[in-house]
Amino acid sequence: MSELNASSTPALTDPAHYVRRPGEEPPVQEAPIHAKRRPQYGQIVAGIVAIALLALFIQSQAQNPNMEWSVTWDYMFNPVVLQGVGVTIQLAVFAMLISIVLAFVIALMIQSNNKVANVIGRGYVWFFRGVPMLVQVLLWFNLAVLFPTILGQDTNGLISGFTAGLIALSLAESGYMAEIIRGGLISVPAGQTDAGVSIGLTRNQALARIVLPQSIRVIIPPTGNQFIGMLKATSLVSVIGGSDLLTRVQLIYGQNFKILPLLIVAVLWYLVLVTVAGIGQHFLERRFNASQPGSRKPRKRTPGSQATTTTTGGAQ
Amino acid sequence: MTQTAPAGTASDTMLRIDGVHKWLGHNHVLRGVDIQVRAGEIVCILGPSGSGKSTLLRCINHLDPVDGGVIEVNGERIGHEVNGGQLYEQSERRVAKARQHIGMVFQHFNLFGHMTALDNVTYGPTRILGRPRKEAAAHARQLLAKVGLADKDASYPSQLSGGQQQRVAIARALAMEPRLMMFDEPTSALDPELVGEVLQTMRQVAEEGMTMIVVTHEIGFAREVADRVVFMDQGRVLEDGPAREVLDNPQHERTAAFLRRVH
Repeated sequence: MSELNASSTPALTDPAHYVRRPGEEPPVQEAPIHAKRRPQYGQIVAGIVAIALLALFIQSQAQNPNMEWSVTWDYMFNPVVLQGVGVTIQLAVFAMLISIVLAFVIALMIQSNNKVANVIGRGYVWFFRGVPMLVQVLLWFNLAVLFPTILGQDTNGLISGFTAGLIALSLAESGYMAEIIRGGLISVPAGQTDAGVSIGLTRNQALARIVLPQSIRVIIPPTGNQFIGMLKATSLVSVIGGSDLLTRVQLIYGQNFKILPLLIVAVLWYLVLVTVAGIGQHFLERRFNASQPGSRKPRKRTPGSQATTTTTGGAQ
Repeated sequence: MTQTAPAGTASDTMLRIDGVHKWLGHNHVLRGVDIQVRAGEIVCILGPSGSGKSTLLRCINHLDPVDGGVIEVNGERIGHEVNGGQLYEQSERRVAKARQHIGMVFQHFNLFGHMTALDNVTYGPTRILGRPRKEAAAHARQLLAKVGLADKDASYPSQLSGGQQQRVAIARALAMEPRLMMFDEPTSALDPELVGEVLQTMRQVAEEGMTMIVVTHEIGFAREVADRVVFMDQGRVLEDGPAREVLDNPQHERTAAFLRRVH
């Protein structure tokens, strides 16, 4: 150590010239050093306070006679409620799928070099993102006022609460999704378009074939968020009797006046759905990161497997 | 529009740049550039940054449209056409078709990030030229072997070093069997250790008789490989001549000053 210090004192003579000799190795270290963590008193105190408050709240509610937990448990797996859960899932999944398809079209329209498509796309986003979802739900449900018949069919017969809700949720969501997808497209470096164009793609082809596939990784996380939002937004269709979870729960407490216990049923089911969706999102993100070249784990391919990888590697 | 063919224009002119102007915003980037390149010729364009070299390359394949003058590759204008005395913009598809025959290698490689090295090279031939997949893959493997990356066919760009990525990018451009290859500072984004392997690959391409335009700061490469060196500054060509003459005995003071500083 003292030698080190001595050599580090500023010397105006020639600096030392070190050359490593063969066989010269630094002392072996078996494992990384382990520094003991200091006790985090702040965390401990905060944890105790939080747990105490939560326990107090749970205890007070568990003993609150107005909560009627037994009623909650009775209705948790009631067939009518379960059907409502099913409808809510259907609404959320279908609305999300429809909105994603619409959003891809709109985002590509906005990003294309077709000016008319661009204006139409922007107008679409402006309208469907601008009008509150609840208002859109009511608008579609009351479509019959404007168009009493569609293709010779009675509009009210054609558009049930479910269909009106599905249309409204899909369109409203597609406005947001279009912007998310557009953000993903913009996140891909412009050099990718240049490269695509330089080998003979048109700009729009490069957008769809080169830029779009690379934007998926950026698009997925916020899409998961939007789906969780959508699961909850389905409750809006209860205003038009969309036969979803909230509609059914309201139906039941309209008859037996056990309002809070039944709302708790809805709360618990929504939390279950959102939790499952959150777990799904986690795996989806991991999967897409893994298949992407930027991930930590490269695809392992042995040199011998080249012949077989040709076909899969080239699959479109 | 002057339609008179310059006296020296033989049929072997691969590229004719005639009085080209280009504005980027308020910036007058190219101020009347004239360059001609014969088939099989290798031309290095030197010059300080901001002299318009890269913009010129982007104008050649109409990535950026010219604002004045004419650029012809193999006798054909790219991006514009004259019809009944009126200048028209060409359709996107026409331009795309013309670009198939002009290879371009970028400073930042720009390999398609979602494709393996092999797919990067086969994409153009299969999806644009419509070649059968097997044939394209075989050709691509030959090209990858030529750039020294036969074993990297299944690697994604992010798993390759900069030098390897750039060599795949060269293979991708060659796969389209271009008449003209443009290199836009192909080694400027590389670690010094990796520059050599890319220059070596370019040397190989040059030896096969490819017409090449190389924007570069590698004076050594220009001296060794180029037939001609063009020196540009502030959007103008200041000097244009045989490589060794321009490099060893520059006539314009700006060229001389530049070469002194790069060495």
